[in-house]
Amino acid sequence: MILLKIFSLLIWLLVVPFCMGLLILPLLKQQQRTPGIALIAGYIFQFTLLELIGIPVVVCVTYNGFSTFLKIFIPVLVVSALLGAALFWRRHSMENGWGFLKENQRSIYSFRKMGWEERIMLVLFLGLAAFQLYMAFTRASFDGDDAYYGVQALAAQQVDTLYRINPYTGRSTPVDVRHALAMFPIWEAFLGSASGVHATIICHSVVPLVLIPLTYMIYYQIGQALLKKQDKHLTGSLTFLFMSLIALWQIFGNVSLYTTETFFLTRTWQGKSFAGNFIIPAVIWIFLKLYEEESEKGLWVLLFCLNFAGGASSSLAVLLSCLMTVGFGFLFAVSKKRISIFIKACLSCAGGGIYVLLYLLLTHGLLGV
Amino acid sequence: MFGIFMESLVIFKLYTGLKLLFALTLFAWIYLLITEKERRNRLMLVYAPLIIILLFLFPLSRKFFVAAGLDGETYYRILWTIPMGIITIFGFCRLFERHRRIGLVVTAALIVLCGKYVYKSEYISKAENLYHIPDMVVKICDLIEPENPDTRVSAVMPPELIHYVRQYSARINMPYGREMLVPQWKYYNAVYEAMEGTEVVDIDVLLKATRDEYCQYIVLAPGRQTEQEPEECGLVLVGEIDGYRIYEDPVSVKIVESWQEYYEDEE
Repeated sequence: MILLKIFSLLIWLLVVPFCMGLLILPLLKQQQRTPGIALIAGYIFQFTLLELIGIPVVVCVTYNGFSTFLKIFIPVLVVSALLGAALFWRRHSMENGWGFLKENQRSIYSFRKMGWEERIMLVLFLGLAAFQLYMAFTRASFDGDDAYYGVQALAAQQVDTLYRINPYTGRSTPVDVRHALAMFPIWEAFLGSASGVHATIICHSVVPLVLIPLTYMIYYQIGQALLKKQDKHLTGSLTFLFMSLIALWQIFGNVSLYTTETFFLTRTWQGKSFAGNFIIPAVIWIFLKLYEEESEKGLWVLLFCLNFAGGASSSLAVLLSCLMTVGFGFLFAVSKKRISIFIKACLSCAGGGIYVLLYLLLTHGLLGV
Repeated sequence: MFGIFMESLVIFKLYTGLKLLFALTLFAWIYLLITEKERRNRLMLVYAPLIIILLFLFPLSRKFFVAAGLDGETYYRILWTIPMGIITIFGFCRLFERHRRIGLVVTAALIVLCGKYVYKSEYISKAENLYHIPDMVVKICDLIEPENPDTRVSAVMPPELIHYVRQYSARINMPYGREMLVPQWKYYNAVYEAMEGTEVVDIDVLLKATRDEYCQYIVLAPGRQTEQEPEECGLVLVGEIDGYRIYEDPVSVKIVESWQEYYEDEE
């Protein structure tokens, strides 16, 4: 039974998002089509769907909201993943797979060819990341907000309701519009229900094991983009140096309760941590790439999705990612003297803008639920 | 306006802790300001953070933030858009680009010396189970949780258990929760007043309040003193777990059962 649950979790946490990411990969350039980017893109796509399906259910469905949500969300995820896998299979047989497998083979090959310095730095990083995963699993981190966010996930799973009970007491209440658009706890409840695991175990023991590596995948992309050199070995050494030090920085970044580093390792399962450690770094990664390849459609699509998907983690995340998008877009446009970058950046905030508008309407009582 | 500026400055100080780790970031930022040649990196890691800090400290930004319906207490999260970790590590990678092994040792030592080890936090402890909540809470909840998944029970809990109970079972309601433990939220709850308002619990007063809320269980912390013996007031001790005494109130239980029977008949 436990093995079945673990298998099920692997399907929902790795296989499905990865296959969903394969749908986005064709929009990216050859060198971007790597397994890591497929997984990152898959998660961005998944959280976009989570918001797209979840928000109408929260707003419109009073009773049995969670089961209604699952009836739509699960089939959509499965179909998206199957489409991604089918598309990949088809392209693979036609064109030898978008360079994806080639990339994969190259990375295995390069591991063998790595110099000692690269290997040591890679092992150091992996050791630090493994240590963080071990601590995430074996250490309990007390946080008062769990009485809200963790319980929202459990209430969805056990009571079949979305944001319509007071998590502190369990009593019925009008929809909590300040938090109801952030579906991150409901995603955790979905994982729990789909795999037969208690939502609190999902939050505290399972989700960190995926979100911590996912964050490092983004940092790896950032490190590569920042430290790219002509010499591959030098790029490798510098990127793994960057990764080792970033991993150490996370462990020692607890200078206050408010830093993203503190959230990353002590509140990994909360939406706000996801905002600070996935959404915001992902915006930075996309813009690092966009500066070089402004015309790459896939990156703009990912940015559009990200600016909406951020709402899953918190309403503030949408505002922050949209502000970053507009800000970086403006700086890039000025730097390159091309207004089109700024226009595209503004357009990629359209989904996020609708989210913010809905949030304002709900919180100011202009739209009743 | 100056007041808002000063408040934002305090938030900035609290965020960074004004610790040495921030000094490392500042050092790396200055290094990048002077030496970084790539335009993209200058824009994203040198100029953008400066603009964000200026906007953060600008009083109208905070006014806009609150006007947008966002919680003023979360204003510090604007600072999340400054990737301090990336700026610092990238700066040091650039600094030690030609001496990477020395750079690794020096930077790692600086981070360890200037930072604060997250796992040393007072909020982190060894997990007792996969739920990451105390075993004792699990046992108490298992004792009082209703067998029928469609029904609920209500229980008064001591403050130290309040955060955990509903993380284990959403089928256990509480007359008050975490909202009563945050003084600045200034909530009032009659059951909380009866349970925690006095050093010695007056069971008669508590029972009056809990029966008004149809609360079936009362959990008393180890060593909690009572004016009267709970059993003498009609409570039934159903268990004692790690010193916590779990009492059932037959009066509330009977009332709630009669409702449940009524609803079952209706169905």
